[in-house]
Amino acid sequence: MAVEAAVRPLTSETQVKHRRARSGATVVKHFGVYLVIVVLALFCAVPFAWVLLTSVDANAGLYLQAPTLTLDNFVRFFTEEGTPRLLANSLWISGASTALTLAFAIFGAYALSRYRFFGRRTLMFGILLIRVVPPTATIVPLYMIMINLGLNNTYTGLILVEAAYQLPLALWLLKGFIDSIPMELEEAAWIDGCSRLTGAWRVVFPLARPGVGACALFSFVNVWGDFLTPLVLLQSPEKYPISIGMFRAFSGRNQVDWGLLTSTAVLYMVPTVLLYLFVRRYLLRATVSGALKG
Amino acid sequence: MSALLAPSMVLIAVFVLAPVVYAIWLSMTNKRLTGFGARTPKFVGAENYTRLLTSADFLNSMGRTAQFIFFSAIVGQFLLGMLAAVLLTKSSVRAKGIIGGAILLPMVVPEVVASLAWASMLAPGPEGTVNRGLAAVGFTPVSWLQEYPMASIIVVNTWRGIAFAMIMFQAAIEGVSDDLIEAARMDGAGAWKVFRYITLPLIRGPIFLFLLLTTITTASVFGLVYFLTRGGPGQATELVSVFIYERSFAFFQLGLGSAASVIMLVVVLILGLTYVRLAKVEV
Repeated sequence: MAVEAAVRPLTSETQVKHRRARSGATVVKHFGVYLVIVVLALFCAVPFAWVLLTSVDANAGLYLQAPTLTLDNFVRFFTEEGTPRLLANSLWISGASTALTLAFAIFGAYALSRYRFFGRRTLMFGILLIRVVPPTATIVPLYMIMINLGLNNTYTGLILVEAAYQLPLALWLLKGFIDSIPMELEEAAWIDGCSRLTGAWRVVFPLARPGVGACALFSFVNVWGDFLTPLVLLQSPEKYPISIGMFRAFSGRNQVDWGLLTSTAVLYMVPTVLLYLFVRRYLLRATVSGALKG
Repeated sequence: MSALLAPSMVLIAVFVLAPVVYAIWLSMTNKRLTGFGARTPKFVGAENYTRLLTSADFLNSMGRTAQFIFFSAIVGQFLLGMLAAVLLTKSSVRAKGIIGGAILLPMVVPEVVASLAWASMLAPGPEGTVNRGLAAVGFTPVSWLQEYPMASIIVVNTWRGIAFAMIMFQAAIEGVSDDLIEAARMDGAGAWKVFRYITLPLIRGPIFLFLLLTTITTASVFGLVYFLTRGGPGQATELVSVFIYERSFAFFQLGLGSAASVIMLVVVLILGLTYVRLAKVEV
């Protein structure tokens, strides 16, 4: 301010004062902005403090407290009867559904992107509309169908259902990625003697790899976090994924083992948080199916 | 070509579309999970629907769902998400990565973990986290899930949805041309006026789409609430989604549960069709 005043000798006393007052106001405003945004961020993050602190607390309880540091809860997760099984089950269910989703969606999306067939637009809108069908509203008839197909309480059944749930998003995302790969590249491959399918395999799919990766992560995280579908479709405790295992442990008649429950929660949430870090830039596209146009 | 699409279509048809059709059929029978109705369900026409629409239990669960959607999604997520989006698109704010990441957390963790975290936040007695915070400003401890169950799940669902609103609004705000804002500034408009008269009218479209989408997703929220309250105390937090689950799998009335599912489907599909029509999707 002093320097400014020196190089601009014509600035009157009042003007300087005025500018000073305004910069005071901006400081207050700036502070206000930070206050609001930090409070909001704390509101979002604070509930996790208890989960994290309790998972490393030897005297774990329901209340937020300074932990007596220990890794025993995590050790117990891997040694206790039942809990390692939950992790293995979750990995298998999510991994297999993701693989199935991708295997189907890559070819489906290629067809949706590269062929101009009758009813394609309607089909795309239909797929988008299917995304809004709430699982809660179809779970009852789905349960009956699984019983009739003999797939109730089986991994095969659950994995097929989860893949079906992930397919609409996967088809949309992958179609978008394949759309952005120039047709000319593929045509060049045909001239070099590739068939339609080998052209797609050698040229398009390798270039769509980031899209396939993003798609895989989204599918995996969605299935990994699902609660309702395994709750209804699996009845044997030895088949439960982590979500159902945690629910039973939390609401069971036995005393809750908070240390074990929170260490399970931490192991359960860490992969999703990490995966989201990777796909953060695709988040918008995935949440609205690439539907939003400014 | 059809061979490429067929596997996806079959899977979707069998596990998503067939249940929708089957729900309509089941809703017109007296199908039960156990007993006589399990083996030979009878066609009962619209009986389940008339029963539902005259039962206080179901109508109340509809009312609670409407309340839940209105306060958590349309008011809570919208306002806080917009606030976060506006403040985080300000160039003067530092540490955007960390702040944005913190706001993203509630959305990215599995819903079971989100519920568990709030079980401790809302724990009754003076040791509960929320109670402890409020004690600092002179409040006496409250058993949140017992005394204010609806308000509690509304707060939890607002918390979980802020990030989604923020992501959508941030993208929309970034699309507003800087020139317009600059011009308004030159004309002497303050930050609030720029937001109210320039930004807000220009992002009306995305706002409307967000409201539709969040209404649809909030209508089907199940795990977040069921984990915390199981629809209780009594039926205080029995949303339609919880009603469907409880009727079908705790009371074994599949016909009745299916009728409730069909009603939910109709409402959601109307909203969904509006969304697809308005979203100007490129295919």
